[in-house]
Amino acid sequence: MDPGLRRIVVSRLEADGALAERWGPLVLAALEGREHLEAQLKGGSASPRPVEPHASPAPPGAFLRSVSVEGFRGIGPARTLELTPGPGLTLVVGRNGSGKSSFAEALEVLLTGESLRWKDRAAVWRDGWRNLHHSTALLSATFLVEGEPRPCVVSRRWADDASFELAELAVDGDSGPHADVDSLGWTSALRTHRPFLSYNELGSLLDEGPSKLYDALSSILGLESLLEAQGALQEARKSREKALKDATEARDRLVVRLRDVDDARARDVVAAIEGKKWDLDAVEAILGGAGSSGTGAVETEVLRGIAGLEPPDPAAVADAVNEMRQAAGALEAANRTAAARSRDAAKLLEAAVAFHDAHGDGDCPVCGREHALDRAWNKRQRSALTRLREAAREADAANERAEVARQRWEDLAILKGESLKHAAEVGLDLSELVEALGVWVQARAIEDLEDLARHVETASRPLREAVVRLRDAARAELDRKDDAWRPVTAEIGSWLAAAQDAVRRAADLELLKPAEAWLKKAAAGMRDDRFGPIAEKAAGIWERLRQQSHVELGQIQLTGDGTRRRVVLDVTVDGVAGAALGVMSQGELHSLALSLFVPRATLPESPFRFIVIDDPVQSMDPARVDGLARVLETASKDRQVVVFTHDDRLPEAVRRLDIAAEILEVTRREGSVVELRRSLDPVGRYLEDALAVAGTAGLPSAAAALASSAAHVVPGLCRLALEAVCMEVVRRRRLTRGEAHAEVERSLNEATDLTRAAALALYDDVGRSEEVLKRLKGEAGAPLAETFRRVAENAEIAPNEAVDVVRLSSKLTAWFRGLN
Amino acid sequence: MVPGLELRSGEDSPRAALSMARGLLALADPQTAGLWPRASAFLGCRAMEATVQRLWERRALDHRGCPMRIQLIFLRSYLGDADLAGRAGHAWSALSRACHHHAYELAPTATELQGWFSVVESLIEKVD
Repeated sequence: MDPGLRRIVVSRLEADGALAERWGPLVLAALEGREHLEAQLKGGSASPRPVEPHASPAPPGAFLRSVSVEGFRGIGPARTLELTPGPGLTLVVGRNGSGKSSFAEALEVLLTGESLRWKDRAAVWRDGWRNLHHSTALLSATFLVEGEPRPCVVSRRWADDASFELAELAVDGDSGPHADVDSLGWTSALRTHRPFLSYNELGSLLDEGPSKLYDALSSILGLESLLEAQGALQEARKSREKALKDATEARDRLVVRLRDVDDARARDVVAAIEGKKWDLDAVEAILGGAGSSGTGAVETEVLRGIAGLEPPDPAAVADAVNEMRQAAGALEAANRTAAARSRDAAKLLEAAVAFHDAHGDGDCPVCGREHALDRAWNKRQRSALTRLREAAREADAANERAEVARQRWEDLAILKGESLKHAAEVGLDLSELVEALGVWVQARAIEDLEDLARHVETASRPLREAVVRLRDAARAELDRKDDAWRPVTAEIGSWLAAAQDAVRRAADLELLKPAEAWLKKAAAGMRDDRFGPIAEKAAGIWERLRQQSHVELGQIQLTGDGTRRRVVLDVTVDGVAGAALGVMSQGELHSLALSLFVPRATLPESPFRFIVIDDPVQSMDPARVDGLARVLETASKDRQVVVFTHDDRLPEAVRRLDIAAEILEVTRREGSVVELRRSLDPVGRYLEDALAVAGTAGLPSAAAALASSAAHVVPGLCRLALEAVCMEVVRRRRLTRGEAHAEVERSLNEATDLTRAAALALYDDVGRSEEVLKRLKGEAGAPLAETFRRVAENAEIAPNEAVDVVRLSSKLTAWFRGLN
Repeated sequence: MVPGLELRSGEDSPRAALSMARGLLALADPQTAGLWPRASAFLGCRAMEATVQRLWERRALDHRGCPMRIQLIFLRSYLGDADLAGRAGHAWSALSRACHHHAYELAPTATELQGWFSVVESLIEKVD
């Protein structure tokens, strides 16, 4: 994250008072990346990445010193384009197919590994990358980097049969050899400040669609991190919205499913979640099964209660009955024995002794015997009591045992009343049980133990069966409910987990939305700030290129985002705002593209101090070419501008406007033998060539072809020189006078041969051809006039005259130049 | 002056001129670097003109005063091959254009020249 960018965002946040808002920190977190954003949302601030104290310095500027090409495209044997590594304008002139574009493409391939010309097209376009006549393929370029004494060499080499992708890249910079271009720090600059502009690119940039153009221009603004941050916020928001939406849809499906389940728990869950606000805690409780107040839970409790009923255990019944019978027997026995009598007698004696203790000695109150009650009698009675009590104890024990036995029937059927009360509510039929119980409890009224035993015996079985049946019914019902309920629990469980997560995360949305909105606005503002100066520069260039175009370009603006991002060109045609691009000619479109991209390539942030433009002149009329020449002149004041062009229009303009430039000519022979040479003006060039041919006429070592052709070639070249100088004179005179380019060109086209061209130069009138020779004789002298005549008539000359002819022709051109 | 290397109108002059023209294209002589397009154009033009001239000589016609353009129109009647005559006309126009300086135009390419030269060769064959 560019710290400068971060500072700007922070200051904007402060200015808007947004840092105080809870969503303010989200923006900053988003700038640091997705992980930071998520951490921030989870709660609290993640520790911010330490801001680098210094921004990574911009790489030093690089100039181009030479480009060498071998076996690539139109170039066969190795050729090197030598350039002056510094600010200035260089034109490389050559016909299409002369190999000139191969140099431009070579540089592009060298640095980027591909050519935009082929990149998005079918393989066919790229397959011809090798030169047909030469098997070794090697590209290299030398750069001079500011501050580095050693030049930097980048080269790509291919084995003789290697495919295009398998190039061996070597970079040899000031800091030693490397294996990739990254080490130069140029990788991102190659994209954002692309220093190669080609005809194809210029043409397609405006065709490819508004968003592509937008991307191409916005990439120089260095605001990608903002875009990424916006993306992070948007993604965070969308994922949460989606989670919520998915949970809601799942809820709908779940509800439909649950409605099919005949279980009160299911109904409770539906009630909890069918509304807008979900009661997820309730659902959790229902799933847990315990402590809920829903009716479903109650039902289950009841059923569970009933399912847990214990019927009278037959063994226990038998045991109890047995005991009862034995107790009855013991009781009866005890009653028949003296035990009963003893108990009664003991009672009596107790009372008597108590009487004696209370009233002292005396007569027996019962039988009247005198002095029967005395101390000895007391003592006798007390020991008798002990005996009697013992005997009574047995009777007591038998009674007790009988009582205990009687109670046992109660223990035999302990049925918890609570559950049974609600049995009807859960759909269970109690009638059988009630009947059996009714019979059972009659035992309470039975006194006789033997009868009781018999009753218990008979009544226990029906009771037992009734309980078992009821219990089984309850169990069955529980199982049934479980069968319907159990599978659904898993579904509810998983939905619950997702829903809880979605709801929790959705709470973040109320922060994410304002953060996203703010950043969008801020990003647009920063974009406009940064793009403004570039747009102005582009508009300036357009002004110079437009010449007589009716199209006026006002503001250039980047607008919109996402799929609606585009570049708005405020174009008016004759004052009427129009569908700009639609009304512009090809040439105007190119000019527009140039206007947009020259500023991009010459920004101070670019490490490339050179720009290479391939064929910008293609569709331009001569007037616009003048404008282009001026634009290039301006750019070349602090940049190395290398322009490839396929005809003489731009060089001619550059010469005529006295723009300092180096002009190189490229020609290609058979076998892809490419030649480069410095081109003076055409006149000088023709004369030089003529001299070269003339000079060989006498040399035995010269190429036979050349020497023997001197007779024709020398006068021909001299004629070309004279034609050229006449045209030069005419053009200069008329254009300075203010005539339109088109007019001048039309006149020049009328000069179909040298004499007519001379007439134009001398008289501005093609019709006065006959007077030319006379005038020349008079003003230039007979020798020059004679030379003119011979050359104009295409006469053969003797080889030994060749040099003289050239010399005289040269003088003649100087004479013409001296006119007015 | 190298004896024997002067160019004179002779029986084999069109062929010689044409082969010299082709030689300039094929031979990568640094001395001819950059000037071979125009030079070979001159020679090609000359070869064509000489060939047409030869045709008139054979037919005992004197067309020397006529502009070449007109002569080439006559060619259609006298050559016996209208198609070749038409191509010859085009090739000469192009070669001749290359022999003059025209605004903004650069010299022809090797490919273009080869095309025109093959027409010249056909013409030479036909006339001979």
